[in-house]
Amino acid sequence: MSPLNDDKDSITSSFYLTKQTSFRIAMKQRIGVYICHCGGNISDYVDVEQLSKLIANEDNVVISKDVMFACSDSTQKDMVQDINDQKLDAIVVASCTPKLHTHTFRNVAIRAGLNPYNYTQVNVREQCSWAHSDKPMDATIKAYGLIRAGINRVKYSEALENIEITAQKAVGVIGAGISGMRAAVDLARMGNHVYLIEKEANVGGRVAESGKLFMTGENGKDVIDRLYKRIKEIPEITVFTNANLDKVSGSIGDFTLEVSVKDEALKLNVGAVLVTTGFDFYQPKEGEYGYKLSDNVITLQQFNKLIETSNDKLVYNGNAIKSVAYIYCVGSRQSKGENKYCSRQCCSAAIHSSLNVHEKFSGVKAFHLYRDIRTYGKQELLYTESSRKGDIYIKYEEKEPPAVEVKNNKTVITVKDYLTYKKELSFDVDLVVLVTGMVPRSDSNDISSKLKIPTGSDRFFNEIHPKLKPVETVIKGVYIGGTCQGPKNITESVQSSLAAASKINTILRKGTLELEPIVARVNAETCLWCEKCAAVCEYDAIKPIESNGKMIAQVNTSTCVGCGICGPVCPSNSIEIVQFTDNEIESMIDGFMEKAEINTKQDSQENEISSGKQIKLNGFPKIWREIASALDDKTLTIPQLSEQLGVESNVLTWHLMTMNRYGVVEPAGLDEDEAYYMYKLKK
Amino acid sequence: MPENISNKYDAVVIGGGIAGQETALNLADMDYKVLLVEKELSIGGKMIQLSKVFPTLDCAACITTPKMSETARHPNITLMLNTDVIETVKTNGHFDITLNIRPRYVDEALCTGCQQCEWVCPKVVEDSYNSNMVGRKAISIPFSLANPKIAAIDMEQCLHCKKCEKVCVPKAIDYNMQPKRVNVEATSVIVSTGFNLFKPKNKPQYGYGKYPNVIDAMQMDRLIAPTRPYNSLLRPGDGKVPDNIAYILCTGSRDSSIENAMGCSAECSNNPICSQICCMYSIKQAQLLMGALPLADITIYYMDIRAFGKGYEEFYQQAKSMGVNFIKGKVAKVTPKEDNSGNLILRYEDVATGKLKEVKHDLVVLSVGVLPNSGIVKTFTNQKLELDDQRFIKQVDELVSPSLTSIEGVFVAGTAAGPKDIPDSILSAGSAASEAASYIKRFSN
Ligand SMILES: Cc1cc2nc3c(=O)[nH]c(=O)nc-3n(C[C@H](O)[C@H](O)[C@H](O)COP(=O)(O)OP(=O)(O)OC[C@H]3O[C@@H](n4cnc5c(N)ncnc54)[C@H](O)[C@@H]3O)c2cc1C
Ligand code: SF4
Ligand code: SF4
Ligand code: SF4
Repeated sequence: MSPLNDDKDSITSSFYLTKQTSFRIAMKQRIGVYICHCGGNISDYVDVEQLSKLIANEDNVVISKDVMFACSDSTQKDMVQDINDQKLDAIVVASCTPKLHTHTFRNVAIRAGLNPYNYTQVNVREQCSWAHSDKPMDATIKAYGLIRAGINRVKYSEALENIEITAQKAVGVIGAGISGMRAAVDLARMGNHVYLIEKEANVGGRVAESGKLFMTGENGKDVIDRLYKRIKEIPEITVFTNANLDKVSGSIGDFTLEVSVKDEALKLNVGAVLVTTGFDFYQPKEGEYGYKLSDNVITLQQFNKLIETSNDKLVYNGNAIKSVAYIYCVGSRQSKGENKYCSRQCCSAAIHSSLNVHEKFSGVKAFHLYRDIRTYGKQELLYTESSRKGDIYIKYEEKEPPAVEVKNNKTVITVKDYLTYKKELSFDVDLVVLVTGMVPRSDSNDISSKLKIPTGSDRFFNEIHPKLKPVETVIKGVYIGGTCQGPKNITESVQSSLAAASKINTILRKGTLELEPIVARVNAETCLWCEKCAAVCEYDAIKPIESNGKMIAQVNTSTCVGCGICGPVCPSNSIEIVQFTDNEIESMIDGFMEKAEINTKQDSQENEISSGKQIKLNGFPKIWREIASALDDKTLTIPQLSEQLGVESNVLTWHLMTMNRYGVVEPAGLDEDEAYYMYKLKK
Repeated sequence: MPENISNKYDAVVIGGGIAGQETALNLADMDYKVLLVEKELSIGGKMIQLSKVFPTLDCAACITTPKMSETARHPNITLMLNTDVIETVKTNGHFDITLNIRPRYVDEALCTGCQQCEWVCPKVVEDSYNSNMVGRKAISIPFSLANPKIAAIDMEQCLHCKKCEKVCVPKAIDYNMQPKRVNVEATSVIVSTGFNLFKPKNKPQYGYGKYPNVIDAMQMDRLIAPTRPYNSLLRPGDGKVPDNIAYILCTGSRDSSIENAMGCSAECSNNPICSQICCMYSIKQAQLLMGALPLADITIYYMDIRAFGKGYEEFYQQAKSMGVNFIKGKVAKVTPKEDNSGNLILRYEDVATGKLKEVKHDLVVLSVGVLPNSGIVKTFTNQKLELDDQRFIKQVDELVSPSLTSIEGVFVAGTAAGPKDIPDSILSAGSAASEAASYIKRFSN
C-alpha cells in the first residue's frame, strides 16, 4: 500500500521513495500568501500591511494579501476563487497556531481542487505577535522571516493522499472483569464482533469475589451474573476463559492475537484491542502493622469475606469480635516507598465495610486510623453515616504511623492522634483490618510488553493524556480501560472502559481507516539496514525487508506516527519524514535567515483607529471621564485615585480595569513598595 | 443556525460544556447526526473560564479551544446557542423537543467578530465570564475565546444609541431580531447540563459580597488565567498585589448547616456531600500562585485533602514541597481588619494544637463546591426524569450502566450526575456516547 498517490509531481507510487525523487519534485511556481490581522490580535503588533507588500516580491509568489480574518467564511471563499482564477499551486496562511485551523485551510484547498498538503500554516500570532507584544518592530521582522520560511517550505511541498487501510470490525478485549465485560456488551451492540479473553476459569474478576458493593448495596456476584447472562445472549461476543494471550502482531485495523485456550492455539484477527486487566491488592509485608505476626491482623478483603460468611455473630478464629481497628492507606501514599499514589476507593470501601458490620452485627466498636478521609463526592454520605453510628476517627501522619503489638495475648494499638493535638492513645482491639490499596497486577509487565503499552511512574498502564486521550495509548489501536490504568471504583472503571468502547467504535465503524500520510520513508538506494533507526523507534514501525538483493528498512505506515526520531540517527541520511524533508527544513532556515528590511511603522496612532481603539469618552460612564481627567498629566495608583475622586476603591478598581481592557488607560509600572500598579492614560 | 436545518437528529445533547462537547464529538465521529443545545452564547462551559488544569497544569484554553472548534466545525454537529429547551415529549420511541432560540440582535452569518461595535459602545455592564470582576460592553463578543466568536447585545442594558450599528461594516446588527421556536425530533437525548457553583453569599460567616477581598475560587481562576480581567494578578478590593492568600476549603460542601444552599426551599437547606474538585483546584491555584507571586504566602485551611485521582497525591505533595502551607482546621468566621487596609482576619480552630486562632490575610479565596443544575428535568413532561437525593440526575444503574436515567433513551454525562473533575467528566461523556450509540443503533437496523 502506498502512502503517496501517483501524482505527477510526487512521482512514484513505490513504498520506498528515494531522496532523489524528492529533488525531482517540481517546485511550486504559483503561490498565494494570506496574512491575517486577526482583528488586531496580530496587526496591533505586526505590520501586516507592509509585510503583504514585501512578500509580494518573493520568488514564485503570485498573490499576497492581508486579510482581517483569514478563517472567516468570506475570506475562505476569496481564497478558493484566487486558487481557481490565478491557478495557484500552493498556499501559505500566516495567522494563528496550526492546531486551530490546519483543517480549516486544508479544506479550503480541497474545495478549490488543490491537494491539502500543498498548504503551509505559519504561526504569527502565538509565536509572534502575542509573544512579542512589547516589541512590535521585532515582531514584524520575525513574522517576515517566518512567512518567508513558510513560502520556501511550501515550494517543496508534495501532494499527498491519506493512507487508507481496511479495519476489522472486531475487537479483542483482554480481561473479563466488570470493565471488560461491560465494554464487550456495548462494542457488540454498536456492531462489532468481540473476543473477550479471560485468563481465569471464570469471568467477573474482583467484583465477582465481592459481597455488598458501595454505593448501591448490590451484591458483587449478582451484578456479574446479571451481566454475564446478558453477554451470553449476544451472539457477537465470544468468551474465552482459561485463555492466555501469547503474542500480538499487526497494527491498527489489523492485529493478530495469538491466544491459547487450554491446549488449543487460536489466531484472532481484530481491528483494535481493549486492555481491561484490572489490578492486584497490595499485599502487606510480614510485620507491616503486625501482619502475619499476629493472627488478629487481616486485610480488608479477608475482613469482607468474614462479614459475608458470618451469620448472627462476627467471629474470627473462634473469638467473638467486639472491636475493630481499621488502618488506612496501607501500601498507598508512601512518600518514600514505591506507591506514591492514593488508591482512591479504599477509604469508601473501608467505611462501607464498617457500615455493613453495624448492619449485620450489633455492638461492634470501630476505630478508623486514617490520614485523610477521601470519601469524595456522594461517598461522603458513607462517612457521615459511620460517624453518626459512633465510629471513632483517629488521624495519624505518615511520619508517625500507628504501632500494632501483641501484649499479653492482646492486640494493642498505639498512635498519636492529630485530631487531639497529637495525644498518644493506646488501646486494644479484637481485630486489626489493614485497608490495603491497589497495585498494578503482578503480570502486567507481560501484557505491557506484548502490546507495548507504556507504564507511568506509578507502574499502571499509561494513557496518552488524561484529558485529551484518556483511554488511548501511544500504540494506535490499543486502548485501556478500568483499573489497569490506575485506581478506580466500579462506576469509574465502567465509565472508562465504555469511553474506550466509544473511541474504538469511531475508528472501526466504517471498516476502513484513514491515517495522515506524515510518516517516515526510506531511500532504498542508500539504506544499508544498519538497524539504528529501528532501534530508536518507540513504535516498532521499522522492519527489514529485502530489496534489490540487499536488506533495507521498511516503514509500517499504519504504526509510524511521524515523530522523526529515526532521521538524525541514520548514518547515511536515508530516512526522512514526509512534509519535514531536508529540502523543506533547510529551505525554511534559509528563508528565515534572509535579510529583512522593514520600515518603522508609520504613525502607529493612526493605525490604532483601524482596530477601533481610539475612543471618545462622550456618553461613557461619568466615572470614566473623571478617571481620565485625573490621569491626564500624572500616573496614580488605585488607592490614590480612589481618595482623589472619593470613590470606593473596589468600585474604582472595577472601572479602571474595564478602561484598561478597552485601551483607555494602561499600567505604568509598580509603585515603590511593589504593592500597587500606577496607571496612566493610553495615548 | 441556518434556516434550513434538518429537524431530525439521532441525538440531542443538552449543554455544551466539556462533557456535552465530548459526547457530541464521539457520536458525530460515529456518523450520527447531533444537535448540541447550549443556553449561553458560546459553548465551553465552566472549563473555558479556567486558567490551567490539574494535575498536568496544561492551559485549559489550549485543551478546550481545539475541542470547541472541532465541535463547531464537525459536519455532523449542529450548534444551537442562546437556546432554551421548552419541552421534551417522548412519543412512539422518539423525542419531540421544542426549543426557543433567544435573539442575540446580531446576525450570526454576517458578524465577523471584529469587535468594532464593542469599542464604541458607551454602556458598561458586568462581565459574567470574568465573574463580574470587570466590565464589558452592552454589545460584545461573549469572551475572547468564544466559539462562535459573534457579538451579542444585552438588550436589557442597551441604551439604543445605535453607535454600534454605525460602525458595523458587514451590517450585522439587527435590533428587531425576534425569538424563534424550533421543533426537532430525536432518537436519543443526552443531558450534560453541568453544575452550579455554590453561591458563597449563602455562607454569610465568610463575608463574601461584604468584603471585596473575599473572592470565590472561580474568580481566582480568572485572575490567574492569561485572559485575566486585570493587567496583572491583583485583588479586586483595591488593585493591590496580594502577598498573603488564604483558601477556605469545603465552602458550601460537607456542610449541613447552610440555609438555602441550592437556592430552592427547605428541602435543600444543606449540602452534605463533598464536591470532589475543590481540594484539587485549590492546590492547583496555590501552585500557580507560587509561580506568579514568588514572595507570597499561601495557606490552605482544610478538613481532609482529597487528592484521589491519578497523579493527584503526587500533585499535593509537590505543593507541600513548594512551600504551600496546609492547616487542618475549620474556619469559623472572616472579619475585616479595622484599619481600612482591606485585609481580613480569619478565625479558626487549629486541629494540631486544639487552640482557637486568628490570623491576617490580604486575600481570602472561598473554595466553593458543586451544586446540581437540574432544572432541565421540568421540561420532560410526559415521563419523569428522576433526580437522586442530592438533586443530581439519577443514575438508575450506577455501577453497571452509569449513564442510564429513569427514561429509556435519555442519558446523562458529566457533572449533571454528580461532582466530577474534567478527566472524570470526559470519561463519563465517553460512556454516555457508548450507551447512546448502542441505543440508536437499535433503531437504525
Ligand atoms: C474554580 C474551579 C476550578 C476548576 N479547576 C479544575 C481543574 O484544574 N482541573 C479539572 O479537572 N477540573 C477543574 N474544575 C472542574 C471542572 O470545571 C468541571 O469538571 C467541568 O467543568 C465539568 O464539565 P461539565 O460539562 O459537566 O459541566 P459545565 O462546565 O458546567 O457545562 C455545562 C454546560 O451546559 C450548559 N447548560 C446548563 N443548563 C443548560 C440548559 N438547561 N440548556 C442548555 N444548556 C445548558 C451550560 O451553559 C454549560 O455550557 C474546576 C472547577 C472550578 C469551579
Ligand atoms: S483512598 Fe483513602 S485509604 Fe485509600 S489510599 Fe487514598 S487516602 Fe488512603
Ligand atoms: S445601541 Fe446599545 S449595544 Fe449598540 S452601542 Fe448603543 S448601547 Fe451599545
Ligand atoms: S473536594 Fe475537598 S474542599 Fe471540596 S468538598 Fe471535598 S473535601 Fe471539601
